[in-house]
Amino acid sequence: MDDDLVIHSKGLTKSYGPHVALENLNLSVPRGATGLLGPNGAGKSTFLKTVLGLIQATSGEATVLGLDIKTQGEEIRSRIGYMPEYDALNPEMDAIHQVRYSGELLGMNPVVALNRAHEALQFVGMGEQRYREIKSFSTGMKQATKLACAIIHDPELIIADEPSNGLDAKTREFMISTLNTMVHEGERSVLMASHLMEDVERVCENIVLLHKGKLAAQGRIEDLKAIDREVEIHVWGGATPLEELLRDRGFKIRREGRVMRVANTQEDTTTHILQAASEVGAQIRRMHEYEASLEDLFLAIMENLGYEIKSSDDLLSSPIEARRVDAPESLGGGAS
Amino acid sequence: MDVAWGSDSGDELELTDSSAQTAKSGEIFEQKYTSWNGTLNPRWMRNWAILRHHLLGIFKKGHRPWSMPTRIFLLIAFIGALSDAAFTLLSGLLGSAEFHALFGVSRDNLYGHILGFFPRNVLFYPLVAALLVGSVISEDRQHGTSALYFSRPVSRFDYIGMKYLSVALIQSLVILFTYMLYFMAEILAFGRGWSWMVDVFPMFLAGFIAGIILIITYTSIGLALSSVSQGKFFPGIGLVAILFGSKTLAAIVKNLFEREILYLLSPYDCVAHVGQAIIGTQQTYDQYPWTYSLVALVAMNAVALYILASRVSSMEVTRE
Repeated sequence: MDDDLVIHSKGLTKSYGPHVALENLNLSVPRGATGLLGPNGAGKSTFLKTVLGLIQATSGEATVLGLDIKTQGEEIRSRIGYMPEYDALNPEMDAIHQVRYSGELLGMNPVVALNRAHEALQFVGMGEQRYREIKSFSTGMKQATKLACAIIHDPELIIADEPSNGLDAKTREFMISTLNTMVHEGERSVLMASHLMEDVERVCENIVLLHKGKLAAQGRIEDLKAIDREVEIHVWGGATPLEELLRDRGFKIRREGRVMRVANTQEDTTTHILQAASEVGAQIRRMHEYEASLEDLFLAIMENLGYEIKSSDDLLSSPIEARRVDAPESLGGGAS
Repeated sequence: MDVAWGSDSGDELELTDSSAQTAKSGEIFEQKYTSWNGTLNPRWMRNWAILRHHLLGIFKKGHRPWSMPTRIFLLIAFIGALSDAAFTLLSGLLGSAEFHALFGVSRDNLYGHILGFFPRNVLFYPLVAALLVGSVISEDRQHGTSALYFSRPVSRFDYIGMKYLSVALIQSLVILFTYMLYFMAEILAFGRGWSWMVDVFPMFLAGFIAGIILIITYTSIGLALSSVSQGKFFPGIGLVAILFGSKTLAAIVKNLFEREILYLLSPYDCVAHVGQAIIGTQQTYDQYPWTYSLVALVAMNAVALYILASRVSSMEVTRE
């Protein structure tokens, strides 16, 4: 197995009777931070349970940190830290003892677990609150305590399910910077499932996008963003002839009034635009590169593209064919 | 701190400088990731952690937080269950043969310590079991702490096994440990020798086994109820209702129709019937053999354990 991959799957499929929760997933999650994205029902939870070795895959194979999910589930769970989305703490316990117990459940000696619990809580900013009962904690403090439980044994891979869910701006910022510190200073890998694109974008270099149990996209965020790169121009006079000319020359254009977005698929797109404007006598009063956010990218893939997209190359090379697969007709799609 | 309290170590200048630097940076909290290179212990250590967490929670803080009413009632039940040991010691002090006949070690009194209906099986043991099983599994559903177990290398078998064992051991403290203390009190108060001990030991052992059967049955039913619930009230009250409800119903049917067969649905009566047979006291169930009760007990435990296992196997780690 490639040492740079923390998770690798080949044809991974999980069915619950007739319902296929994961279908033929071919995933490669590299070291570093990766965002796991997908709408509700996309198969994120099933994927996480499969990766944790808690449920058996129907077919296919996968490895986590080089360990087989079918036969080495316990060893996988020893080497990863899982931070669940929902409450997973006993409200009657003190934070320090809760974190220590989570370490003991991994097989840590009680004394060692207590020492590490102090360090982990200190790291997540709970050093002063560690002897307080969890029931008196705010949502942010609970999230931090769950993260401390996940990192007590210094795992190689941390799986964080919605780590910034329900947090206010300040605590969300702290959680994001904590995850960043773990990735960049601690050199740990993070697989982060989240609905907050901004958070994923700040922490992760890579994403895996699931849709209805299938892989919709995977790769570096920067590479994937290139799919939706456009040049935005504000035109004064002659907008329609300019649009027609650019279309004739093979450019994909979205227009709303005098504002046009021209797909930036060539290196000299701006030169072509200026030449075309000069030929039709249109004034270009403003021109700048419009770079899609991760949220734009997510929406573009989810709403406009289809199941069969496997990689950023596919997205870049054949978006029209892909669109025909399953996107609704209103969005330019239709049955293939 | 040293500067503030005047340690006078000769490093004042350095300390002053370092505190000034800290103050200059203006940072109170510095986030630093600390790595850990220790070794994780094997399965038995993880299981011991679960057992220890539940057992020590009865006695001290920092482990599973059993509620104060549970702890107080356990103490009351423990002291209450020791009443026959206290009376045995008292009869030894008084030297009264009548008093000893009432409370000292005998076949009937050994049976009574484990399976006597009043006060132990009305006031103590079922309530102890109900308080213990009430939240042992249901709280993991309620608080989502099942994720804490199942995202670790803890198998569901180990999870059930250790929870079961911890509840059974706490009950053993009230039922079997007091039973042993009672036996010890007789030895101490009356200076019993080896021959007496060897003579009485089979009876003692039979009572001990009856106690184990009682604990297993109550724990199986109680934990099965706990596994289907998200609160502590339902499993507790459910166990008490099953134990007393089935007994009451069977007693009513017996009184009205002279039919004892319904006692086969009562966990307490089945344990009592088997206990009477193995200890050798007078049988109070006349219409069917004790093996029927044994089979009924096996069936009850099997059903309870099946429910427990199937419910725990469906507990989620990602969301409940």
